[in-house]
Amino acid sequence: MEAYRQEIIVGAVVIYMIFCVLTGLWAMKRTKNSSDFFIAGRGLGPIVVSLALFSSTLSGFGFVGGPGLVYSIGVSSFWMIVISSTGYALGFFLVAKRIRMIADVRNCISLPDIVAARYNSEAVRFLIAVTIVLGVMGYLATQILAMSVVMQAILSGTDTFANIGLVACVVISSAVLIFYCVTGGIIASVYTDVVQGAIMMIAGILILLTAMSVFDGGMQEATSIILADDGEAMMPFGAAGIMASLGWFFVFGLGLAGQPHLVTKMMMNKKISDNRTILPMSLFGYVMAALLWVSIGVIMRAAVIDGVIEPLALPDDAASVFLSVFTNPLLAGIVFAGLFAAIMSTSDAFLNIGTAAIIHDIPKAIRGHSIKNELFWARIITVLLAIVAASFALYSHFQDATLVAILGAFGWATFAASIFPVLAIGLNWKGATALGAITAIVAALLINFIIQLAGIVLPYGILGGLISFVVSLVLFIGVSLVTKKPKLGADMEAVMNI
Amino acid sequence: MQSKLIYVIFTTVLLMAGILVAICLADSVPNTAGMAHADFAGMQAGGDGAARLEHIGGLAFAFQCLLLLLIVCLSALGVAEQRRSTELWLYMGGTLLFSLFVWWNMYSGHQAFLETGTTDYFLGFPVATAWQVYGTWLGAIPLILLYSLGFRKFIFTAEDEQKYEQLLAEIADKTER
Repeated sequence: MEAYRQEIIVGAVVIYMIFCVLTGLWAMKRTKNSSDFFIAGRGLGPIVVSLALFSSTLSGFGFVGGPGLVYSIGVSSFWMIVISSTGYALGFFLVAKRIRMIADVRNCISLPDIVAARYNSEAVRFLIAVTIVLGVMGYLATQILAMSVVMQAILSGTDTFANIGLVACVVISSAVLIFYCVTGGIIASVYTDVVQGAIMMIAGILILLTAMSVFDGGMQEATSIILADDGEAMMPFGAAGIMASLGWFFVFGLGLAGQPHLVTKMMMNKKISDNRTILPMSLFGYVMAALLWVSIGVIMRAAVIDGVIEPLALPDDAASVFLSVFTNPLLAGIVFAGLFAAIMSTSDAFLNIGTAAIIHDIPKAIRGHSIKNELFWARIITVLLAIVAASFALYSHFQDATLVAILGAFGWATFAASIFPVLAIGLNWKGATALGAITAIVAALLINFIIQLAGIVLPYGILGGLISFVVSLVLFIGVSLVTKKPKLGADMEAVMNI
Repeated sequence: MQSKLIYVIFTTVLLMAGILVAICLADSVPNTAGMAHADFAGMQAGGDGAARLEHIGGLAFAFQCLLLLLIVCLSALGVAEQRRSTELWLYMGGTLLFSLFVWWNMYSGHQAFLETGTTDYFLGFPVATAWQVYGTWLGAIPLILLYSLGFRKFIFTAEDEQKYEQLLAEIADKTER
C-alpha cells in the first residue's frame, strides 16, 4: 500500500470533489428562489445545521495553521480551541433564537437584513455589508490559495502531474467550489458541509489515535519532552505568554457569535426548538475535529526536539510531514480529503454571504431595494466573486503579498469586534441604538486597520484584535446609553420580549 | 433587572479596558511574547515564566476573572428578562464559580511549576495544562446543559412559542390584507 501512497491520497481527494459536484447538481433542483439560495428556505434539520455550523467554524487554518501554531508557540494556541465550548454557548444564548425569529418576521435572508431590521437603519446595514465583503475577499483569497498549495503538493508527488503549476491548481480547486456553490447555493453548501463535517470528525479521531502511538509513552511522553526543553511552551500560556493566550480566549470565545458565516447558519433551521440539540451536536463535532490540531502539533514539536524527525522548514508543514511520516496512506487520504473539506466548507459559506451582501444588501442600503431577479444575479456574482478572490490570491502570491496582509486584517478578530456588539448584544438589549452600532463598527474597523497597517506591536503580546473588541464593546454600550432610546417597531418589540 | 445587567456588563468591560491600559503601562520585561528557540528555526520558546509574570501576573489574573464574569452576564442577557429567575441566577452563579475554580487551579498550578520546576501529569498533560485543556472545555458545559436541558424553561417556553406563532399569524394576516 505504501508504494501507492500518493495515488491513494489523490484518489481520496478526487472522490471527495466528485461528491461535491454531484451534490451541487442535486441541490440545483431544490433551489428555486433567492431565499433557497441564501438561507435554504429556513427548512434545514438539526443534524444538517449542526454539522454545517461546526465545519464552517474550522477552516483550513484549523487543519494546517493550527498544528503549525502548536509546533511554533506550544500551548498558547490551545486557547483558540478550548474556548469553543464557551463560544458556541454564547452564540446560542445571544443570537440563535432571535436571529431566527427576526428572519421569519421580516423575511430576512442575510445578516445585514437582520441588523437593518433591528436598528431600523440602512447605515448599519451598509456598514455590516461592506465589512462582510472586505472580510470575504481576504478569507476567500487565503482559503483558495491554501487549497491550491495543498493540491499542488499532492499532485506533484505523482508521475502524471509532477510539473503541475499553482495556477492550474487554483483553476481546478476554484472550479469545483464555484460549481457546487453556483448550482446549488447554500443548499449544496450545507449538504456538502454534512459530509465535510463527518470527514473532519473521523480524521480528528484517527489522527489522535495515531499521534498517541508515535511515542511509547503516548501523549505524556511527548508533553514531557517539550516541557523538559522549555517549560513555558508546555504550560498553560505557552511561548506566546499570558496576554496573547487570554486575548485569543476573548476574541475566539466571544467572537464566534460575531462571525457572519456562522450566525447566518442560525437562520436556516426549520424549528427554533431544534437549537437545543444543534448546540451540543455542533460542539461535539468541533471538539472531535479539533483533536487533530492539538495532537499533530504536540507530537511534531516533541518529535523534532527529540530528534525523531528533522526540524520543519516551516511550522505550517507540521500536518503534511506528520501525515507522510507517521500515518498509513489510507488515513493520509482521509485527512487530506478532510483538509479540502475544511477549506471548502468555510469558503462556500463566505461565498454565500459575500454574494448576499453584494446583490442584496448594498443595493438595498443605497437604493432602498435589492436588484431584480436575485437568484440569477446571485449565481453570476458567486462566479465573479470566486474568480476575483482566486485572481487576488494569485496576484498576492506572485506579485505583492501586502494586499493579503491588508485584507487579512479583516479576519476573525475584525468580524468579532465589529459584529459581536451590534448583533449579539443588540438582539438582547432594547436600549441599543443605531448610533451606538455605527460607532462600534467604525471604531473596530479603524483600530484593526491602523494596528495592522502601522505594524504596531503592543506590550506583553496583547492582540490588536483584543483592543479593538474591548473598545468596540465600550463604545457600543456607552454611546447607546447616552443616546435616545429607540422606538422599536411592534413586531421587533414583540420579538425582543420573547 | 435588564437595565442593571447591561450596567454590570458595561462596568465589567470598562474594568477590563482599564486593566489592559495598566498592562500596557507596566514595566516591560524582555521576551514577554516569546523568543526564537535556540536550536530550531520556526519554534518559539517562552523562557523565564516567572519574569514574564512579575509585573502583570495579578492584572492578567484579574482580567480573566472579569472575562469569566462577562461570559456569564452575557449568557444571562440572552435569557428573556421575565425568565431571569432566582433559580437562573443561582445556576449562573454556580457556573461562574466553577469557571473561576478551573482558572484558579490552572493559574496556581502554573505558579507552583514556576516555583518548583516539577509537575504531575493528568491524561497526558502537565496538571496546570490539563486544567486548561480539559477544564476550560468543561467549564462551559453548565451553560450548554442550561441551554439544552433548560430550553423550555428559560430560553423558549411553550408560552413563548405560542406568542411567536401568534405574531407570525398576525403578520401573515396583515400581508394578506
